[in-house]
Amino acid sequence: MGFEGELPLHHSSFLSSEGGELGKELSDELDLSFLPDELSVQDAPPQTGGSAEQQDSGFTGEGVSVEDMSGAEHNQASPFCPMTPMTPMTPMTPASESSGIVPQLQNIVSTVNLVCRLDLKSIALQARNAEYNPKRFAAVIMRIREPRTTALIFSSGKMVCTGAKSEEQSRLAARKYARVVQKLGFPAKFLDFKIQNMVGSCDVKFPIRLEGLVLTHQQFSSYEPELFPGLIYRMVKPRIVLLIFVSGKVVLTGAKERSEIYEAFENIYPILKGFKKV
Amino acid sequence: GDRVIDVGSEWRTFSNDKAAKDPSRVGDAQNPLLNGGDLSTVISRGTGSASFDEFGNSKYQNHRTMSSSDRAMLNAFKEITNMSDRINLPTNIIDRTNNLFKQVYEQKSLKGRSNDAIASACLYIACRQEGVPRTFKEICAVSRISKKEIGRCFKLILKALETSVDLITTGDFMSRFCSNLGLPKQVQMGATYIARKAVELDLVPGRSPISVAAAAIYMASQASAEKKTQKEIGDTAGVADVTIRQSYRLIYPRAADLFPPDFKFDTPVDKLPQL
Repeated sequence: MGFEGELPLHHSSFLSSEGGELGKELSDELDLSFLPDELSVQDAPPQTGGSAEQQDSGFTGEGVSVEDMSGAEHNQASPFCPMTPMTPMTPMTPASESSGIVPQLQNIVSTVNLVCRLDLKSIALQARNAEYNPKRFAAVIMRIREPRTTALIFSSGKMVCTGAKSEEQSRLAARKYARVVQKLGFPAKFLDFKIQNMVGSCDVKFPIRLEGLVLTHQQFSSYEPELFPGLIYRMVKPRIVLLIFVSGKVVLTGAKERSEIYEAFENIYPILKGFKKV
Repeated sequence: GDRVIDVGSEWRTFSNDKAAKDPSRVGDAQNPLLNGGDLSTVISRGTGSASFDEFGNSKYQNHRTMSSSDRAMLNAFKEITNMSDRINLPTNIIDRTNNLFKQVYEQKSLKGRSNDAIASACLYIACRQEGVPRTFKEICAVSRISKKEIGRCFKLILKALETSVDLITTGDFMSRFCSNLGLPKQVQMGATYIARKAVELDLVPGRSPISVAAAAIYMASQASAEKKTQKEIGDTAGVADVTIRQSYRLIYPRAADLFPPDFKFDTPVDKLPQL
């Protein structure tokens, strides 16, 4: 499975869904080239600016970043990069067989700095799909339909983007929000985009004896049926928290990189197999 | 010559003197394990007429300010004793709770948390460690702290003290719940057996042991002469009656296998209520 399958690759549907959304603001093509990737950190995916000008922006931007990301992953030697089927699948531990199950990403939380003070009231009044309740929370909550995400936009110019299913979608969504803010008249930039948290889930397809697991892995596990029905496993390397349920479903969270999720699952799978029920 | 000051007691005591009090001993019994050497002087409130001045206020006001460094700890010990008294916990659990609290307090890793929350969580851990766990809801009933906060402090304390506790089982609560409901020993033994069998046969995967215990008690009591309603059992166990219903539905199909062989049925297995 390639994650490109999840992204809308059809130009017309992509743009029309976009066009319907923000009303008067997006009558023209969605051109994200104006927003160069200003990054204070050196080792970052390259600019999407150049290639975007030639074609419809979103895709080539993603295309470029995808290949670069797979290039970066070569260094990590992660055997599970479903993005590029061309990458040779070298197993990390030849002694044990791989599980064959790949965790699916369910949520990505990222932050970006727009580098300008914002007037939240004017944003809330002008933008569609924006809610602002200063007594309840000091940020504008904006939502877009494609990719389906929610953003918290603060008056300092910092923004949190949640709900995307992949790193590229999160970046794309953040750019769209920045575009919206820019169209409302603020000199928005796109500085320091960083993914803060990634959540993945998968199913090992067999029931698990949580009581056994908590006995042997006491220093990492916490299983209190009175508090939560799942076992909370805090893996040390990589530093990931896994919620393991009796049904065999596993939720992995706390990752900054996709590879951490995969690595954590590969680490836990043989342990879980040892505690299969019956 | 050398003047030596006799540091013995002021009065003589005789070994065969069967006086109840030992006059060579002064002061209250110390608790050196917990108080860290409390050598301060405490002036208690006066009782006679001479201890009050003209306005009726007590003459010597300084009944506060004793060991200020451990004032919070002493307060917590008082609170722990109060909580334990409400549910009639024995002294060994209270002592263990005090020890746990002292360790946590000295470590200072949970300093920001409310002392009452830490005390409640210590009480919960002590009950667990003594092999007689109390449910979080039972501890909540005697504490002003919410179950959520006690749960959080519980996990933090286990981390801070680097200990762990055994997993709760259905049998841990049987004697207490059945006694509170006034069920005879036969029914209690029946319920214990049912719950254990249900867990062994994996009829109730993922269900909290408390809920399974409550459902087992319901089944056993309904099969005996002392029938209890789901609401009564739910009130005692701190479980919602829908939860008992859910777990009961899971164990009902195998009811015949779950009863102990020597159980005296008042209502036969096929006449058990089907919810």
